Amino acid sequence: MPLDTSAYGLALLRVDGRRWNELRRMHAQIRTQAAADGSSYLEMGHTKVMCVVTGPSEPGPRRGGLGGTASGGGASSAQSKDAEVAVSIVVAGFSSVDRKRPGRGDKRILELQSTISSALAASLHTHLFPHSTISISLHVLSQDGSLLAALINAATLACVDAGIPMTDYVVACTAGSTSTYAANDEAADPLLDLNHQEEQELPGLTVATLGQTDRVAVLVCESRVQVSRLEGMLAVGVDGCKQVREILDRVVRDKGHRMLLEGTVERGAGLDDMEVD
Amino acid sequence: MASLKRSLQSDDPYAANIASKVYVRSTKSGKVQKIVREVYLRTDIPCSSKLCRQCLDAAPRDAAGRRVGFVLSERPAGTKVYPQGHYLVPDTNAFLSAMDLFEHGSAFYDVVVLQIVLEELRNRSLPLYNRLVALTKSDEKRFYVFFNEFRLETYITRDDGETVNDRNDRAVRKAAKWYGQHLAKTQPGQAPAVVMLSNDRDNLRKAKLDGIPACSLAEYVGQLKDGEALLDMIPESQDRDITREKKPGESLYPEYFSMSKTMTGVKNGLLHQGIFNVSPYNYLEGSIRVPAFPKALLILGRENINRAIDGDVVVVEVLPKDQWKVPSTQVIEEESITKDENPDAEEGDNIVSQQERKALQEEVRRTHSKSSESLAQPTARVVGVIKRNWRQYVGHIDQSSVSQTGQQGRKQDSVFVIPMDKKIPKIRLRTRQVAELLGKRILIGIDAWDRSSRHPTGHFIRSLGELETKAAETEALLLEYDVQYRPFPKTVLDCLPKEGHDWKVPASTDDPGWRDREDLRDLLICSIDPIGCQDIDDALHSRPLANGNIEVGVHIADVSHFVKPNNAMDAEASIRATSVYLVDKRIDMLPMLLGTDLCSLKPYVERYAFSVIWEMNADADIVNARFTKSVIKSREAFSYEQAQLRVDDASQQDELTKSIRTLLALSRKLKQKRLDAGALSLSSPEVKVQMESETSDPIDVKLKKLLDTMSLVEEFMLLANTSVAAKIYSAFPQTAILRRHAAPPKTNFDELANQLRVKKGLELNVESSRALADSLDACVEPSEPFFNTLIRIMATRCMMSAEYFCSGTQAYPEFRHYGLASEIYTHFTSPIRRYADLVAHRQLAAAIEYEAVDPSVRSRGRLEAVCKNINVRHRNAQLAGRASIAYYVGQALRGKATDEDGFVMKIFSNGFVVLVPRFGIEGLIRLRDLADPEPQAEYDAETNTLTTSGSREVKVELFQKVRVRVTDQKDETTGKRGVKMELL
Repeated sequence: MPLDTSAYGLALLRVDGRRWNELRRMHAQIRTQAAADGSSYLEMGHTKVMCVVTGPSEPGPRRGGLGGTASGGGASSAQSKDAEVAVSIVVAGFSSVDRKRPGRGDKRILELQSTISSALAASLHTHLFPHSTISISLHVLSQDGSLLAALINAATLACVDAGIPMTDYVVACTAGSTSTYAANDEAADPLLDLNHQEEQELPGLTVATLGQTDRVAVLVCESRVQVSRLEGMLAVGVDGCKQVREILDRVVRDKGHRMLLEGTVERGAGLDDMEVD
Repeated sequence: MASLKRSLQSDDPYAANIASKVYVRSTKSGKVQKIVREVYLRTDIPCSSKLCRQCLDAAPRDAAGRRVGFVLSERPAGTKVYPQGHYLVPDTNAFLSAMDLFEHGSAFYDVVVLQIVLEELRNRSLPLYNRLVALTKSDEKRFYVFFNEFRLETYITRDDGETVNDRNDRAVRKAAKWYGQHLAKTQPGQAPAVVMLSNDRDNLRKAKLDGIPACSLAEYVGQLKDGEALLDMIPESQDRDITREKKPGESLYPEYFSMSKTMTGVKNGLLHQGIFNVSPYNYLEGSIRVPAFPKALLILGRENINRAIDGDVVVVEVLPKDQWKVPSTQVIEEESITKDENPDAEEGDNIVSQQERKALQEEVRRTHSKSSESLAQPTARVVGVIKRNWRQYVGHIDQSSVSQTGQQGRKQDSVFVIPMDKKIPKIRLRTRQVAELLGKRILIGIDAWDRSSRHPTGHFIRSLGELETKAAETEALLLEYDVQYRPFPKTVLDCLPKEGHDWKVPASTDDPGWRDREDLRDLLICSIDPIGCQDIDDALHSRPLANGNIEVGVHIADVSHFVKPNNAMDAEASIRATSVYLVDKRIDMLPMLLGTDLCSLKPYVERYAFSVIWEMNADADIVNARFTKSVIKSREAFSYEQAQLRVDDASQQDELTKSIRTLLALSRKLKQKRLDAGALSLSSPEVKVQMESETSDPIDVKLKKLLDTMSLVEEFMLLANTSVAAKIYSAFPQTAILRRHAAPPKTNFDELANQLRVKKGLELNVESSRALADSLDACVEPSEPFFNTLIRIMATRCMMSAEYFCSGTQAYPEFRHYGLASEIYTHFTSPIRRYADLVAHRQLAAAIEYEAVDPSVRSRGRLEAVCKNINVRHRNAQLAGRASIAYYVGQALRGKATDEDGFVMKIFSNGFVVLVPRFGIEGLIRLRDLADPEPQAEYDAETNTLTTSGSREVKVELFQKVRVRVTDQKDETTGKRGVKMELL
């Protein structure tokens, strides 16, 4: 068994060989499902998620499934002026080490759904689509920490692919600290992008920002951490979000470029501005 | 449709740098999990040699921008073979088998610890891993952890069909090779050699093929200048791996079950797991408490004990009913029975020697002569060892095991080492320095216990000095009880206030130190302690209030002001956990400056204190209690005797004396209340060794006297502890640090109650602590005042020991302190010498909102770990203190012979134990000590009588008062000095 997170101090290396300020390898694709309105696939290390966006469309009859009880609470009901962002998350039984099916109405999943829903609602121009629903369906294929961050990033990409107008990418990543809460170590370094082992052993938080700005859209901290360390963690997290935005932006632009070359889309007026190098 | 299928594409810039680590692990419940982890390979992991420019530029920085210092020296030491200097790259086995060598001060500098080695070591032995990590953190030894698994050049993947061990060995070779090449590039021609250390022959051979400098531990040590002394520290089994092939088919002990078999057995309830304990009177008899049965299981005889050593976690199997036995009533000492064994001999067929057989025959005869089968107890045999709890043992070489040639030459020789702890079997040691080590106290480690050898084999660590010299014996004691006695390291001393002894309470009350402190300097406070006490923890005051009530204050040194959580001093104190008091020495928990000066509530100076202040009415009922940080100025530091004289002297009418008298009156009422509630007054023989002031040689032994003023201080400390316990528990219901004393199981008293009934017609009622206290009070014999004390001593031994715990781990009813009959209790009053008190101080300070809660006193997991440690340390400190007294009593008796009264405490079929209250010592008198030839004896277990006939005729009963002659005696064969008693 490899060493645990307490070995960081020996050579400033984390359990997987990264430095404190390094992201894991991030890989993303968009338009993975041609039939869907928008789709994406995203990997952050071994955390792998898939996203499909349907809509904006008229809300269907209310029943189980999308828009039903399983959906995250949208900002408003179907009668309102804004589009509802309905998020559903399915965690594959094979996604973690122990094969298991979460029971229906898993509180943790519900919370993830509502967090993602409200985060995206803040960036999507939902007022353009009154009385409609944007259904975001997320599938977790593999889990290795930073799940919420990966889900938010994948959902953002899929929304871009679906062509839903939005202010900016909502990008997320996690940040942590090199020593446990109880150790109360003054010299603890902040950490960027926690993997599963680090999430288990160390304090951490998930932060999402609106694109390049420092505007924080989501901040979730489920562990105990000293207030004095929080600032450093947050700064590292926000910095990580900026790096994530660069990566996602590149993915989108590459895809756009390829579609132009393939002739899938015509070069429109708006697309002329898109510098693809 | 776009495919999601994707391998690491060639255009991915990271592709070459990412690897996966896949391994399989099994969980506690037996499930097998496959774990896949990412590994990011990089090229910026430095070699950390001060010779290397290239790596220095690329050295990593932490979040604050500080660069990690380089470790390996530019001019490493050379050996005969590598005169240009060398760095060492040991493999896992080297650390596993010879950690002591690496910790040695004379060699083994500039060591590269590979990550893979660290990982393997952690899997194999956590304590060794921790020792190695400590080494890498010390500056002087220059150990550097090189993360070879994360460096692109040194990472290797496991080949098909390659075992994990082979792969890891290959990784070690690869890293050693890379190091060599890397250094050669930076310093062409004169780079230090990179030497791989391994005891694996195959690994060495492959290294030689690859052209990597490599040698075995023994070869390497041989190249060093003072190698010979170190050679003994290389464990026994290591040599064997290389030199001696195991001869098949000569096993003396049964084989252990396989791990999976024991695990399933334990799960099914067919086998039982527990900690193996050896009887202090009979080394061939052990017992084990298992969760499945209320009483301990017996394990009898070498074969059944099957290589388990006291303290090991073992798995046992219950033996069939026809092999059940009564616990032995004989005293069997290893030294006397196996005296003549030859350490070199490897007798093949019988592990049970003739003498041992004879001892066993006696047992059988006795068991069979018993009419009632019901007395037999279930027995078991050891079938597996889960965890060895071997530590380092102090002992000395058995002179009789040394051959003549061994005494002169420097040939390697096998000798027996007799550990100080009687429960540990003899250890076979191979050494070249027999002549030097004879008559010395030595420290040894156990390496292995093969099926083929009767005794465990060990290796020499270091010598403590001549037997019976004060320094050696004291150090031996400290090592044996695992007391940390090294001087405080610099990091700890750096945490002390810079002013040193000149530190004073700030004069201005605006100083931050005065924040939220009450000014109690006007109160007439004094302290009462034993003579010569330097670390004064507590002081008291009392004064009448206008409403007729009395204000009583207990002021405790404010240690938490000086020892902040989580600094080096706190860490050290939490490891030491308690100060240890030996007869001639005190090993402090905190540095002297704090313990005896800045924290100590010395008279006439201002000191910070943590005060508990009660308002009491004349019946000593608490009207109200409050807690505050304060500044006090003690008026006088009394000794118990001085205070007693002052109170008794009616002419003293000053305020201070009056207040002590008030306190004394209140304390009597408090004590009465406590006794009414069922508090026990227990007893243990306490003596004090008087020393000659100049030479500090012991000259006499005195019984400790009890004074009223002692119980005065004690009562108020108990009260303060109880009050504080209630307060911190209400503030932190989950994490308060408390102390409990569990009610002893009734069966513990069975034997004593039975003996009292049969011998004296007295009943021992153990229904509750109150009932027990009352029946103990009734246990008196008019003619013999000591009889009551004797019973109390014996009752005390039936009790559980009190323990610290974290309130979240127990239900409220379990908090009870049985001995003090208190619902809730903690330790608060001695923070200078106990770590638990310091934690309680921090919690109380947080509870009264003096300061913010520190995470370390709120985290339950951490507090549990702290409690576990302080419980062990506390017990060890007590044992060490007692052992020290016993040693000095022996020294005081040296060359004298005194006749004293003693009492029979325990009877065996071939001897009995006598307690001599005058010296507080117990001694065993065997039948063969009574007369020569050994008299015949008739032992009656029902009435606990031993009647001898033949060469000497005596009748010895339990609780009987006997006259004994106490002398000290040095056993020539063992070199041990002990107290010897003769029946007169």
